[in-house]
Amino acid sequence: MSKVPESGTSAGRAGTSAVGELPTARQALLAGLGVLFWGWLIVRWSYDRLVAPSVNVTDREPFVPAGPLEGVADALSTVATDLGALGTPIGWLAWAFETAALGVRNLPALAEGALITVQLTVVSILCGLVIAVPLAVARVYGGPVTRWTALAYTELIRGTPLLAQLFVLWFGLSLGPPVRGLPGVGGPLPSAAVVVAMIGFTINSSAYQSEYIRSALTGVDAGQLTAARAIGLGKLAGIRHVVLPQALRFAIPGWTNEFIYLIKYSSLAAFITVPELFRRARDIGADTFRFTDIYAVIAVFYLAFVLTTAAAMRHFEDRTAIPGLN
Amino acid sequence: MTLLAFDGVTKHYGEELVLDAVSFELDRSEVEVIIGPSGSGKSTLLRCVNRLAEVDNGTIRFDGEPIGDTDADELRRQVGMVFQDFNLFAHRTALGNVTLGLRRVRGFSKEEARERARRELEQVGLGAQLDSYPAELSGGQKQRVGIARALAMDPELLLFDEPTSALDPELIGEVLAVMRELADDGMTMLCVTHELGFARSVADRLTFLEAGAIVERGDPERLFTDPRSDRTAEYLSRLTGEY
Ligand SMILES: Nc1ncnc2c1ncn2[C@@H]1O[C@H](COP(=O)(O)OP(=O)(O)OP(=O)(O)O)[C@@H](O)[C@H]1O
Ligand SMILES: [Mg+2]
Repeated sequence: MSKVPESGTSAGRAGTSAVGELPTARQALLAGLGVLFWGWLIVRWSYDRLVAPSVNVTDREPFVPAGPLEGVADALSTVATDLGALGTPIGWLAWAFETAALGVRNLPALAEGALITVQLTVVSILCGLVIAVPLAVARVYGGPVTRWTALAYTELIRGTPLLAQLFVLWFGLSLGPPVRGLPGVGGPLPSAAVVVAMIGFTINSSAYQSEYIRSALTGVDAGQLTAARAIGLGKLAGIRHVVLPQALRFAIPGWTNEFIYLIKYSSLAAFITVPELFRRARDIGADTFRFTDIYAVIAVFYLAFVLTTAAAMRHFEDRTAIPGLN
Repeated sequence: MTLLAFDGVTKHYGEELVLDAVSFELDRSEVEVIIGPSGSGKSTLLRCVNRLAEVDNGTIRFDGEPIGDTDADELRRQVGMVFQDFNLFAHRTALGNVTLGLRRVRGFSKEEARERARRELEQVGLGAQLDSYPAELSGGQKQRVGIARALAMDPELLLFDEPTSALDPELIGEVLAVMRELADDGMTMLCVTHELGFARSVADRLTFLEAGAIVERGDPERLFTDPRSDRTAEYLSRLTGEY
């Protein structure tokens, strides 16, 4: 309609493409690997639910055979042994193929664990956010009592180990049996252990997320709320419609960090019997006595999750960016 | 008819006396300009009117009612405020700045609010900047959005706290022109400003505030030509640069 905003957006677009020019090849490679990884995961999850739901996880066949990789690994290790001391680098290559073969053989089980890891992380970060926002608002705008209560909660949660919190919920409070009794748990909803882990991670991450949001709130100029109040908005309405939309944008980078931590910390759910990615790997390690190898394989999974999250959040930050606000 | 009346209003910040027994009355459709040195309590006086600050003693009546008796949010809907540093909602476009109050305070539908906001912005000459964000506007344009945002609430009184002090000299005129138009349309205005030309040609009353107390108040022309107090004479000559 008018010329001003149009020139503003086109300038912004030109700016990003100029910055993005050099690393396009690398970006394309990463994007391709991402599509491959997530494409496989989604096909695997769907296939296991729709086509072969009754097959036990450990009996499922991978989509690609591990045989060829094992063949290469065997051939390489023969060569390495023949060469003696000189063969060490080839021996490493042989190990890489063996590890890949181990990974491929166990992909169905790892995919199942990865699904739980993704569910745990996404549900917990979002539920944590729902708690963190009012918590942060209470810290910044509350009266003495709400402020003190919110502070006590945050410091208690941030001051104690996450694993201890999970143990309190699982062993201390024995939340397993009552949660198992809830409608849908273990049916359409995840199993009791997963739900308890979600509760634990939600509580834990809400405390950390609220810290990021709190500091973002204090970064919003006080005049913004004054102006909101001056047109007759109540304090909460002013916070909701004027302060929070700005603060939440400021909080995106810090919040992304918290998301990434949570992806990795979700492995602690293994210790309260949740069969997520890390626990699957540990079980495979126990069966094969190849702990290091299988942990190297799941490291690739975690790396893919982290890179995907970082990229998605960067995209989200760009999408929600407002001129002059950062 | 009196719209705003201060009666012996006193206010402290801690030990400091910021408003000292301030009394005056402002009629409907009148324009009052307040001048005074930095720290004399001008902003505080304005903020007491819409209860962004609470008085210690004395009463402020708005439309006959002591303001303490009305709901603060309701009072603020009827008393618009324009700020020195604009305080535009940084995450909203010019249009969004004006629609927020219409939607959330006055309960307009989305369409009604957009329509009304568009008209307010056209009124202040910003029909072409509806979709611009504050950061994309000049200072003068920002302040005009600020005025449109206040006007959209249909206020009975507008408070201006140094609306042109943050502007480059060449942008002051466009804001004063809007204010002059409002005055001509009969808006009641209480303005803190050191634009003496505006005070002389638009204001019905000029008040000189010093150390929280009214030193002199009257017809602007009279204060300029025939001040009763030496302090007024001295301050005005300092402002006009006539030593
Ligand atoms: N929120 C506050 N808390 C404590 N003291 C304040 C507050 N607001 C203002 N004051 C003090 O009250 C006095 C009057 O301030 P006020 O802002 O009303 O003056 P002013 O006339 O508007 O000054 P200026 O021309 O600089 O804007 C000053 O000494 C100031 O330091
Ligand atoms: Mg002031």
